[in-house]
Amino acid sequence: MTTPAPTSPSGPSRALRRIGEVLPAQLILRKSWMTVLLLWGVATLIFGLVEISPGTVADKFMNPDLPPEARASVIAKYGLDQPWTVRYLRMLLAYAQGDLGVSLVQERPVTAILAEALPNTLVLSGVTLVVIFPVGITLGVLQAVRQGRPEDTTASVGALFFYSMPSFWLALMLQLLAPSLGLPISGMNDAVMVDYMTPTERLWDTARHLVLPGIAMGIAGAAGVARYMRSSMLEVIRQDYIRTARAKGLPESVVIGKHALRNALLPIITLVGLYLPFLVGGSILVETVFAWPGMGKLIIDAIQQQDTPVIIACFLLFAVVVTLGNLFADVAYALVDPRIRNA
Amino acid sequence: MRTALVALTHPRPASVRLAAVGTLLALGSACFGGGSDPAPAVRTGDGPRDTLVVGSQTDIGNLNPIVYETASDAWVLHNVYLQTLDAHVDCKLVHEPALATSWSWNDDSTELTLHLRDDITFEDGTPVTAHDIAFTYEMVRNPAVASPRLSVVQQMLDGSPEALDDHTVRVRFKQAYDHITQLSHATTLVTMAKHAFADADPGTLRGHPVSLDPLATGPWTLTKHEKNTRFVLEPNPAWSGPASMKPKLNRVVFRVIPEYATRLVELKNGGIDLMDSIDIEDVDAIKADHPDIRIASRGYRTNDYIGWNSANPLFADKEVRRALTMAIDVDAMIGKLLTGKDGTVYAKPMVGTITPELCDAYADDVPRIPHDTAAATALLASKGWTDSDGDGVLDKDGRPFRFTLKTNAGNKRRSDASILIQSDLRAIGVDMQIATQEANSFYEDLRKRDYEAALAGWAAALFIDPTSIWGSDKPGARNEFNFTGYSNPEVDALIAKGLSTPDPDAAVPIWKEMQRRIYEDQPYTFLWWREELVGIHERFENTVITPSSLLDDLHAWSVPADKVKYAR
Repeated sequence: MTTPAPTSPSGPSRALRRIGEVLPAQLILRKSWMTVLLLWGVATLIFGLVEISPGTVADKFMNPDLPPEARASVIAKYGLDQPWTVRYLRMLLAYAQGDLGVSLVQERPVTAILAEALPNTLVLSGVTLVVIFPVGITLGVLQAVRQGRPEDTTASVGALFFYSMPSFWLALMLQLLAPSLGLPISGMNDAVMVDYMTPTERLWDTARHLVLPGIAMGIAGAAGVARYMRSSMLEVIRQDYIRTARAKGLPESVVIGKHALRNALLPIITLVGLYLPFLVGGSILVETVFAWPGMGKLIIDAIQQQDTPVIIACFLLFAVVVTLGNLFADVAYALVDPRIRNA
Repeated sequence: MRTALVALTHPRPASVRLAAVGTLLALGSACFGGGSDPAPAVRTGDGPRDTLVVGSQTDIGNLNPIVYETASDAWVLHNVYLQTLDAHVDCKLVHEPALATSWSWNDDSTELTLHLRDDITFEDGTPVTAHDIAFTYEMVRNPAVASPRLSVVQQMLDGSPEALDDHTVRVRFKQAYDHITQLSHATTLVTMAKHAFADADPGTLRGHPVSLDPLATGPWTLTKHEKNTRFVLEPNPAWSGPASMKPKLNRVVFRVIPEYATRLVELKNGGIDLMDSIDIEDVDAIKADHPDIRIASRGYRTNDYIGWNSANPLFADKEVRRALTMAIDVDAMIGKLLTGKDGTVYAKPMVGTITPELCDAYADDVPRIPHDTAAATALLASKGWTDSDGDGVLDKDGRPFRFTLKTNAGNKRRSDASILIQSDLRAIGVDMQIATQEANSFYEDLRKRDYEAALAGWAAALFIDPTSIWGSDKPGARNEFNFTGYSNPEVDALIAKGLSTPDPDAAVPIWKEMQRRIYEDQPYTFLWWREELVGIHERFENTVITPSSLLDDLHAWSVPADKVKYAR
């Protein structure tokens, strides 16, 4: 059994060297190839799914007051009258040149549309992530330390309760409570007063608008992290080196906070990697309920309007982030755990 | 405004506890918050001012008159642009002067001449002329644009409308037809600025900068659009039209709130002042608990019907369809599904696809088939449908009377109605199964006539052209919404005659006769016309809410001085 590595002074150069150790050029090359294959697979799969789903972007022109010629002209304009093979190959060719295309509904570049929605989602889910990990970790540690006592049971039941709760339902319940809490119900800012606010007031206003969607989105995540943390911590505190630390006469806070926690955090790193895609994808349901203008809203609109270039671009973005998340977990794991780095 | 500012600077205790989190979150927003716009100038003078806050399900897409799509687009367009003619419904569509002050037809109704005001300008100071109108219609014809408004030019000669001079437009039609429809075709598109779009790529007109930030010619102008968040109208400083159309409100803020339940909570809590398409079950609660919210009706704008696929041998005989209609208790369904707790009825039984709002042409004299279970059973028996094997289901030549009713998923009213229909039909020994389908695939099945019976509905058109729904199948027929395969040469002849009659009053008896014939044939079991309900804060006066307009005449809206909520 290895004892945890003692803390050592580490500057930027040391960190870089460590990354170099765990990420040899060969590995990066292999990962890049895998990513390209993955993106191709995702683009193909989504293209296929949109293709076999009923209707096209021209269907909104199905209306007794519109002549069939209007729909026909839309179909011709977007090349929807051509065989799928032609459209598929054209799409791949454009992607190969780094062109994400033009939205069929908005007739604007897809990149411009993504650039409008992505920052809003990053704010909401970034803040949520920043909150759920400290909350979840603290709760999990407290539960593990008090294992089997009423506090642990109550927290476990509570965590399970929130973990199993559908986020949109929680969102609706929070909205009913919002007025009595003095919190806004929807949007990113007070739509009427925002034009008269100073920058500070505006920040404060956004913060207030973040509270409810943040809770709706984060509470299940925090409960999940707490469950992981509790079991990981329980495993660690049964280890010999913890008994050794206690036998040395170290205060309990040092035993738990330093020796046990650092080791118990290892599995949580994987979890951080898994949560990263969520940072970009946001939550379709929570964003819709709270009228938060992010990626969730963008993708649901695109799917409803059958705006293929936007749908595929969104999923490509998710795929890239999933890959990056996994890479992050691999690297971070190796960085903090010498056993993996030296293996 | 007063309350909102207090809430901002003096947060309540619950918010204070969250302050630490809030500050952290706000840092993120600072990076992505979209910058700070200069605060709009405080407006003073001429009377009380206020802000109307509208909860909108959708964001605006584009504000180009020939390619816009959503209701939000139309709301903005109709206030930011002066319409060529105003149109409202008064038993028929009635046109009134706006950009055009007068109009006249030649003797055989194939030429329409419109005379325009000479004092209207685009926001940049360029005068609005007949050339802009001619340009707008020329763009509609351009196939690269793929305009959904193509129908407005289909009965016009090529090159029409044309500018006779700066303020006279002549529209030449291929043949004479209903004057109301001719006027609608000639005036329904608001005017594009020729000088702004002359060099535009027709293939990407929807994304053109002036399609997104229009050059206003109307009393309002679009001052802000934050994607999927809000769009804001303010009085157009360059407005050069009649002073009576000068806005009485300071601003109109449209908040994009996609979720119905959220819009409803915001309406009840004062976060928005107006919400459209409110469900009847929510109207009861609003009336009971929120006296400051007024419920207004936009009239009978949508209907529900059961379509019987005539290609199915079960429904080929009109007497059988009649018997099914007799068995279904439409009035009881209206009582259960479309009546408020206070007894207000929000629906009207339907006899045809012309809305009761067009009360001239609407056939109020068609006798409805009465609900009569015994008569239904007798009629089916006379057609050979009896329960010969005693299993509770009618049969004929060994085939049971069994079919599936399709409807779209996610519509509570329709799924409740399906269950009531099922139970009514079971009472006469007809076994109906219910299948709900995702909306896109449901409509695709309707178009392909791949169903037995379907519960669906139409939104009312405000001028009459029944061809697409009731026209028979024949080469070149424009009847792609004839989902039931309905075919009656007499109805075809009536439609042709009605459409080619220029005088709308002379066409009225033709349309009534057409509705009577169709009702006799019962291709549908016609269910009801529903009222569309709008919730609006009671402080607003002169709100023009009609079948043809919800937020299209915002210049008239006002708030009395003692009720102003947002003083800025």
